[in-house]
Amino acid sequence: MKDDNKQPPKGTLLQIAKAVFWAFFGVRKQSDLDSDASSLTPAQVIIGGLIGAALFVMSLIIVVKIVT
Amino acid sequence: MNVTEANSVVLRKLLIFTVIMFGFGFALVPFYEKICEVTGLNNLLQADTLVENTQVDTARWVTVELDANTRGLPWQFKPLQSSVRVHPGELTQVVYEVRNNSDREINGQAIPSYSPQLLGKHLKKLECFCFSKQVLKPREVRQMPVQFLIEPGLPTDINTVTISYTFFELGNDNTASLDINADQL
Amino acid sequence: MAAVHDHDIAHAHDHHPTGLMRWLTSTNHKDIGTMYLWFSFIMFLTGGVMALTIRAELFQPGIQIVNPEFFNQLTTLHGLVMIFGAIMPAFVGFANWQVPMMIGAPDMAFARMNNWSFWLLPPAALLLLGSFFAPGGAPAGGWTIYPPLSVQMGMGMDMTIFAIHIMGASSIMGSINIITTILNMRAPGMTLMKMPMFVWTWLITAYLLVLVMPVLAGAVTMLLTDRNFGTNFFNAAGGGDPVMFQHIFWFFGHPEVYIMILPAFGIVSEIIPTFARKPLFGYSSMVYATASIAILSCIVWAHHMFTAGMPVTGQLFFMYATMLIAVPTGVKVFNWTATMWRGSMTFETPMLFAIGFIFLFTLGGFSGVVCAIVPIDIQVQDTYYVIAHFHYVLVSGALFAIFGGAYYWLPKWTGHMYDETLGKWHFWLSMFFFNLTFFVQHFLGLAGMPRRIPDYALQFADFNMISSIGAFGFGLSQLLFLYVVLKCIRGGAKATAQTWEGAKTLEWTLPSPPPYHSFETPPVIR
Repeated sequence: MKDDNKQPPKGTLLQIAKAVFWAFFGVRKQSDLDSDASSLTPAQVIIGGLIGAALFVMSLIIVVKIVT
Repeated sequence: MNVTEANSVVLRKLLIFTVIMFGFGFALVPFYEKICEVTGLNNLLQADTLVENTQVDTARWVTVELDANTRGLPWQFKPLQSSVRVHPGELTQVVYEVRNNSDREINGQAIPSYSPQLLGKHLKKLECFCFSKQVLKPREVRQMPVQFLIEPGLPTDINTVTISYTFFELGNDNTASLDINADQL
Repeated sequence: MAAVHDHDIAHAHDHHPTGLMRWLTSTNHKDIGTMYLWFSFIMFLTGGVMALTIRAELFQPGIQIVNPEFFNQLTTLHGLVMIFGAIMPAFVGFANWQVPMMIGAPDMAFARMNNWSFWLLPPAALLLLGSFFAPGGAPAGGWTIYPPLSVQMGMGMDMTIFAIHIMGASSIMGSINIITTILNMRAPGMTLMKMPMFVWTWLITAYLLVLVMPVLAGAVTMLLTDRNFGTNFFNAAGGGDPVMFQHIFWFFGHPEVYIMILPAFGIVSEIIPTFARKPLFGYSSMVYATASIAILSCIVWAHHMFTAGMPVTGQLFFMYATMLIAVPTGVKVFNWTATMWRGSMTFETPMLFAIGFIFLFTLGGFSGVVCAIVPIDIQVQDTYYVIAHFHYVLVSGALFAIFGGAYYWLPKWTGHMYDETLGKWHFWLSMFFFNLTFFVQHFLGLAGMPRRIPDYALQFADFNMISSIGAFGFGLSQLLFLYVVLKCIRGGAKATAQTWEGAKTLEWTLPSPPPYHSFETPPVIR
């Protein structure tokens, strides 16, 4: 999953996941943001966001199943 | 690509997206029905199956009040007895009578409603005129049974419950289409 | 340079018409912004008169001034007029004025469509208000137009449905315009992450609008066919389900709440750094939190329907999701507070409104978290507690931000400073009377007073009287705002280009008032 040899547009999966996670929390360091802005494409962020939302929904459903 | 072209590309994408979302609104309808079906919510038109060996709780009485209404159709609709006293778990049959007061054939559909709401969970209906549409010829009178039992699981602080039916007029085609006009209500 | 070329074509003959035709045919973003703002102010006063009639009726127990049917029409139309007529067009007006100037664009991307999306609004408003005169009167089932009531009502309901269609189309066109402008028309060097917060919040809001407005259009279309063409989407007797309407409606309705508050966040995020003379704390966090709020807002809709009948699993899911949405919102409040921390603050009117916003919006946010808890919500559903909650987020949230933004940019728009003393009076009167009106409604709600009812039991009398006095004070204070604005337009001290010492965004590099066509040559962004 890592293409470190080609730096510009592609971000690593981990980087997308981190960006999306912090986006959901609503906090992001300026330095991280700058690296996100330079290496992630909008499509990656949107797809990552949708997957993140789906995961969030599923984790909530699991919590609900556990407590009921 | 100059800005005008770039703009119309974005415009086209967003318009398509808008149309998709408009369709999505309508797609929510079958989606909602599917969810209700899968989760077993909103199951009004199917008979319940009797679990074998229901224990009758003879120590307890529940008063079942019967209610009947019509909405926008010239039928007279009433239960033959206004209430029954039953033991939880005991299979009971009550009879409703409906009379078509008009000179035309009318299709009607009865929709049940329970009070308290909780009753819906504990009421098992094995037979009901509300499971199918009723077609009444001019001036026809019909007696229709409802066979039900109330599960012993009904919370003990509930002593009186109400089962209510409302008849709505269906259109003459077989698809369940009903037109309630504002002036009829 | 392509932008300049494109612009020159759009305004090939620059001797624009005068008088009424100037406004009718204008494709200038500044003209259209002005019209949006005046339209929303007129609708604000209209909805305000309805609110005052409601409060006058509720001044004492018993029926005194209006009959119950008319009272219900008033509560319904007050909601629809304020949401679709006042708050939303006001923010679109701000976007029209500010977005092109803040990103260094000469105008909006689709200037003619911009004219069209504004001029759809007055007919829609006439249709909406005209429903009062239809047989059977205006819709009276609440602004949420739930069936079965909305299926049964008279012709006024059809007029309202058409009005919602038109206003929805207007919003969608406006949003498409704003998105395209922000994505394509930024000055060279203005990267997405250099955009002012207000532009960011509007970009995300516009996406939310194109996401959910069509869903509302679909829902009211189904209502229309149920009413007139014999379909049975929501008709229980025909196999439909009225609860389904609530699901579809709130799938639109909850994001709509954020549509009305995100641009307010944007305005406050411009005002606070200016008057604290510090850059916005955690700009990137603010962007991310806005996006997060937007996404989460789409999965919490059913918290409006806890009492409509829902499995406990569903209730818990929506309760948790709703409570978690408070986290990114809290991040924003924290960032505003941290921006003020150790800043060299001055308290001009825009700053007062911004601070009032933070203070009261947080209060409204907290009562929202209270309402998110299922057992409490079942208790306070449809009581004045809910009324108090959403007026705290919409009046002292959205509306205070609009006032703040108006005072902040008025010198830029008119070229004159507004009357600072009167502005401060406007703020303090609004602040006092707003709280007088709505704070006591928390108590009324907790004591069990239901909403949308013209009469009430005697034990609610004192608080209702206080609330009504507050409402009249608040309503009259807004006339002061009108006076300040008119005075500012007619004259006053000349405003400098930068106007505010701490203002840093691009529009402050233009003279006040800005030329009719600004940034025809894109500015250079450092």
